[in-house]
Amino acid sequence: MKKTWRMVYVTVGVFLWFSAFPAAGAWAADPVRIGAIYPLTGPAASTGAEMTDAITLAVDIINGKYDLDLPLARTEGLPNLKGATIKVIFADHQGKPDIGQAEAERMITTEKVAALMGCYYSSVTTTASIAAERHKIPFLNPESTDPKLTERGFRYFFRTTPFDDPFAENFFQFLDDMKKKKKVKIDSVAIVHENTSFGMGVLVSEKKYAEKYGYKVVAEIMYAEKATSLVSEVQKLRASGADVVMPASYTADAILYMKTFKDLRYMPQAILAMDAGYIAEDYRKTLGKDGEYVLSREVWALDLAKKKPMIATVNEIYKKRFGRDMNGNSARSFTGMMVLADAINRAGSTDSEKIREALEKYTLSGDNMIMPWEGVAFDAKTHQNTKGRGIIVQLIDGQFHTVWPFELASRDVIWPIPAWDKR
Amino acid sequence: MLAAAVAYPFVFRKPFPQDLAIKIFLFGGLASAWNVLGGFTGQVSLGNAIFFGVGAYATAVVQTHWGWTPWVGMVLGMGVACGVAFVIGYPCFRLKGHYFAMATLAIGEVFSTLFMNWQWVGGAVGVYIPLRDDTWKYFQFGTTKLPYYYVTLAFLVLALLISEGILRSRMGYYFRAIREDQDAARSLGVSARGYKLSAIGISAMITSLGGGLYAQYVLFIDPPSVFPMMLSIQVVLLAVLGGVGTLWGPVLGTVILIPLSEFTRIYIGGTGSGLDLIAYGFLIVLVSVVQPRGILGFFRKGGNA
Amino acid sequence: MFLPELAQSLLSGVLMGLIFALVAVGLTLIWGIMDIVNFAHGDFLMTGMYLSFWMYSLWGIDPLLSLPVSGIFLFFLGVVVYQLIIRRILGAPMLIQIFATFGLMILMRYVAFYFFTPNYRTIQHTFLSGSIDLGGIYLPVPQLAAAAGAFLTTGAVYVLIHRTRIGGALQATAEDREAAALMGIDTDRMFTLAWGIGAATAGIAGSLLSIFFYIFPEVGGIFGLIAFVAVTLGGFGNVAGAFVAGILIGVIEALAGHFYDPALKTVFVYALFLGVLFFRPQGLLGVK
Repeated sequence: MKKTWRMVYVTVGVFLWFSAFPAAGAWAADPVRIGAIYPLTGPAASTGAEMTDAITLAVDIINGKYDLDLPLARTEGLPNLKGATIKVIFADHQGKPDIGQAEAERMITTEKVAALMGCYYSSVTTTASIAAERHKIPFLNPESTDPKLTERGFRYFFRTTPFDDPFAENFFQFLDDMKKKKKVKIDSVAIVHENTSFGMGVLVSEKKYAEKYGYKVVAEIMYAEKATSLVSEVQKLRASGADVVMPASYTADAILYMKTFKDLRYMPQAILAMDAGYIAEDYRKTLGKDGEYVLSREVWALDLAKKKPMIATVNEIYKKRFGRDMNGNSARSFTGMMVLADAINRAGSTDSEKIREALEKYTLSGDNMIMPWEGVAFDAKTHQNTKGRGIIVQLIDGQFHTVWPFELASRDVIWPIPAWDKR
Repeated sequence: MLAAAVAYPFVFRKPFPQDLAIKIFLFGGLASAWNVLGGFTGQVSLGNAIFFGVGAYATAVVQTHWGWTPWVGMVLGMGVACGVAFVIGYPCFRLKGHYFAMATLAIGEVFSTLFMNWQWVGGAVGVYIPLRDDTWKYFQFGTTKLPYYYVTLAFLVLALLISEGILRSRMGYYFRAIREDQDAARSLGVSARGYKLSAIGISAMITSLGGGLYAQYVLFIDPPSVFPMMLSIQVVLLAVLGGVGTLWGPVLGTVILIPLSEFTRIYIGGTGSGLDLIAYGFLIVLVSVVQPRGILGFFRKGGNA
Repeated sequence: MFLPELAQSLLSGVLMGLIFALVAVGLTLIWGIMDIVNFAHGDFLMTGMYLSFWMYSLWGIDPLLSLPVSGIFLFFLGVVVYQLIIRRILGAPMLIQIFATFGLMILMRYVAFYFFTPNYRTIQHTFLSGSIDLGGIYLPVPQLAAAAGAFLTTGAVYVLIHRTRIGGALQATAEDREAAALMGIDTDRMFTLAWGIGAATAGIAGSLLSIFFYIFPEVGGIFGLIAFVAVTLGGFGNVAGAFVAGILIGVIEALAGHFYDPALKTVFVYALFLGVLFFRPQGLLGVK
């Protein structure tokens, strides 16, 4: 008898315990809610901050009135939704795919977002977009470049950034151009890459084009992100005798690599990086002069403002508010939010099907964005933006200078990279 | 109480409370599984994530590599986990106390690193289980959490039944003898090695089943999500807080700590689970210093678990 | 294998190994004296690292100068930990002892996580920078300085243990607690001292490490585990043994990365650990 009563107490206690925790989250009322999942902590935290700042700025421009040739800038809020404002809800995925997925689920089910965007890390974008696809919520990916993301046949996933496959080809086109125009001797490359989907994808693409363009891959070095010592890896690079080293690394590793290069006095003819860590603000801040002369594929550079003044205008606003210049990462996040909000506006509703259709039909001219692209238009099958374009920049005197294609270049390449004792 | 648990999802229809319950059931089962080895038999394993990961990977890999159903994977996983448990247990059980604990910690890290570099199972990229429409055959449901709820509930009930069965049986008696005084038990003819292996085998199999269920719920696994030291630690914590060595201790610990962990993650916002782990750490120290028998210790006057 | 490269790996390994050694020395002291495994030892290291980091970021104090501050702070932290926690579990079953220091480890680690965030921090510009060129082999000056510091500190501890009266008392307590008590040695004081010195050495190691290594909350986990390995290899309570073992581990790790696969080098260290545990539990240098 006594035991049954105890059971009752316990059961009631458990129920009370549960109801003490209110179901978190609110309802989507007037503002249009968009979830943005980025690495706010972990080895790429500083990059995550750059991107979320850019998104915040984009939301401000959309919600406010600015005299810029950007969609929704000159109006307040979304005109087709009776001036509804955009409210962005940020979440931190810490660089972990399972947390990214959990956060996506939470955004959708509890925060009731109309759409999701993110996540920078290709590995996290993969899982977060799975959650979105299952719940039939549109997901816009502005920065992740793993080719596999648009090969999954997802209906709700859209990507604005060009991705690693054409970028890899750009690298070898650049090397060919260098050989022709500058008469440098480049035969071999070494690929050093981190081991999640970003790095693995880069390896596959770069190998493919190396073969196509006739370059020898003399070393393929895979390493784990967040390594504590890269001495062995750098030694292997040196031993390979590669003319050009092509890394694919996130921020913390990019910094450690350059430090180790310096410690071991190693420098190949050039470093041709696949973006990511090498264009991050923290990289420049931490390494200063030691990080210079690196070449990276990029999607954006400040000196493009010469051809498109709006770039400088937006950058000024960003710089004044957040204390640093924009870069390819933040510019893409900014543009991603613009595109998403614009699509929602064109859909005239927060219904996910309507938003999805609007995105499928979406086009934007290159004149209405701060990216040096021809514009935005999503491929009918893969939902990949087909009008993107890559460039190659070099970090000189603390600034990124466009050096390729030569028609867009603002200055000449410095090749080879000066050795450590000659700086 | 079982009736209440069954009715629960109809009262709380939103996905969030259901998700919470699923996590509680899953962790409760894992904590109970650990309890068999650590609580009943006194062998403190700090590497139970090994079995969880093995189960998760087995379940995932049979689908991606051979197109089998995950149920087969789970059974396979249990077998593999048991095998791994024996391989680990056989040499490690020679070690006493602290050394056993450290060895399990080291082995856990070895597994994590190995899987990070084993390309056949995806290395650091992990394994993505192919998405399908709702199906029992492949145990995947996108539109509702109910099946997951009931299956994990069944899992917890299974773990508890096994624990209770052991407690009442002669094997359980021998387990406890080994825990209290291994040499004395030996001198009375109890094969310490044999029983310890049974304990780790049982613990491993239940834990790996949990891993398989997790894989099907999340549909994506990679070494940091299924092999982390933190998971091994968490499982231990849950059992110790509630009352190590008792039947309901692990469940109690889970019911208290998991909601705490989830809510701090949500309310304290994007910086993740720092706060709940602070609570974990603090509670364990408190428990070990003040009331080593865990919360249940407050309700039981003397007597043995 | 080219000799200069091998030499480079070896030397880098030795430099790192000296840091491992210092951390191990503190751990072995505690372990030897009171047979308690301090799972939180790595987090004493982490505390030292953060101390140096904040003193550098807030007040521009170079880690070499903040080193003594770390040492003193951690000494007191160790004493406090002993008095508040360890003392109460001295007689408890081993399960509880494990949980106590384990819980402490989690507590310390996640307090750091919460207050300092998981972001990786570095100390950018210290007194020391650049590297020394030994005919093609480069020794980065920060690592060199840290290694030298570790060497000196370990030496100091060794001298303390083996050449002073207090050291003698510590050794006596380690060897036979009851006999030492009978001889008038205040064992409680000895335990306190052991924790204080043990924690202090970890803190100093942390300050030294912060000169060239990432600072983040989980850094204690990696170094803590390696310290366990070193202590096991060197024999519990054996300061010289821990020192040698630490260096050995640094070398093995470097060689494993050099000859085999850098991603798997920790596996070699753990494999060694397990091997020693199974086949020679008294350690390579210890006495059973």
